[in-house]
Amino acid sequence: MMVGKGIEDIDIDMPKDAYDTGKDTPTFRAYLTIIVRDSEGKVVKVHRQKSHSPTANFIGLMLPLTYFNVTGNSYTLKNTGGGTYGYKPAINVGAQCISYPNTAVNYPSYIVMIQVGSGSQSNPYAAYSLAAPIANGSGTGQLIYGQPSVPSNIIVSGSEAYFTISQTFNNSSGDTITITEVGIITHLRFSQSNNGSYTDFGQVLVWYDVLSSAISVPNGGSVTIYYTFTVNP
Amino acid sequence: MVTPDLVSEEDIAKLTIPDDLPDEQPTFKAYVEAKVYDKEGHLVQYHRQPMRSLTQYFLALMAIPIIGTYQGASINQAPGILTNVLGLPSSISAYYNANISWDWAIQLGSGTQAFSPSLTSLAAPILNGTGAGELSYGSLSVSYAGSTIFVSLQVTNTTSSAISVTEIGLKGTIYIQYSAGSINTYSFLLSYDTFSTAISVPALGMAIFQITLSFMG
Repeated sequence: MMVGKGIEDIDIDMPKDAYDTGKDTPTFRAYLTIIVRDSEGKVVKVHRQKSHSPTANFIGLMLPLTYFNVTGNSYTLKNTGGGTYGYKPAINVGAQCISYPNTAVNYPSYIVMIQVGSGSQSNPYAAYSLAAPIANGSGTGQLIYGQPSVPSNIIVSGSEAYFTISQTFNNSSGDTITITEVGIITHLRFSQSNNGSYTDFGQVLVWYDVLSSAISVPNGGSVTIYYTFTVNP
Repeated sequence: MVTPDLVSEEDIAKLTIPDDLPDEQPTFKAYVEAKVYDKEGHLVQYHRQPMRSLTQYFLALMAIPIIGTYQGASINQAPGILTNVLGLPSSISAYYNANISWDWAIQLGSGTQAFSPSLTSLAAPILNGTGAGELSYGSLSVSYAGSTIFVSLQVTNTTSSAISVTEIGLKGTIYIQYSAGSINTYSFLLSYDTFSTAISVPALGMAIFQITLSFMG
């Protein structure tokens, strides 16, 4: 069989829904919800926006084995320190894949935090760290990071399914702190199944958003950031 | 001191599941595409439609890069989303070590069914083969460009009758490797769509089906 004759040599009706109108209902969405409280616990601001930006790290981590098997390529991940790793999972005892909990060793890959920052960058896809991370602490310009909260299940409601991760930050710095960027940081370890070998790749930015408007957290107050991931909203 | 009771948790839950926020570009677009060729290689049908139906298993799979595979730095157990939704073990008994990886496949079918985020299979899968009503599945191809992932499959109809394809699914298989050669597998349906127009693969013809997942940056 010969394949390759041009589409122009035959009269084919293009279905209307073949055209990208920009108005299609996407099957997946991500949202950011940010709630700011003052020193008395009173809600002073609620901010919501669509989240736009999985990073290149996320795309590489999502790729299935077939990509790596067929192309022979690895995917270059970059951690928050700028270090790189050639990710190339495989069904092979010597291949390094994302570590999984087991009874022999403890090489955890886990969500470290929702990180907040005071900078911005124009190409979120290429981001591997926040532009200006706000440090964890009570010093000038710092926020006290709580622990990330991860649900134990996905909520299903009709055709929709979603989960939300969240984290609270307290401001004991003595002054207002302004947040302009947010990201999700995961610590990744890649292990092989035939021995105890592994690579501790460190912290990886997998999701990144510049806020559509800056968020001010008053001294003595707090901010809680919710990332919601949903299909068929 | 921060007191969270000024906005109830119920109110917060409502806020975190917002109605559509207008005037912004969507985060994600997905398409299902089919190109059909007759036995002489002429393109006889082209079809493209938005994909609308990801399952909860897709959401759980994409949670892995986001939340990881452990509950925390010192908790040697898998997060609840992995155990409760995907049915993965909380921890696996291993001599040396364990790791996780996954693969995808495109499944075609000749039935239809109502969508549910918990769907586990197509209504009437078309088998891989050369018998009546079967299609010969070629190798899967996966590529990416920026934040868009392309998954395509070529099928050939070696039978003497046209075969109608009315449904398509993206299937996923998770592999947990441990103890130098042991592998546990877990399979899921990641997406399910029915074609707005049936795709007819002519006798001795072939077709290429492509699923495009575009995460908009």
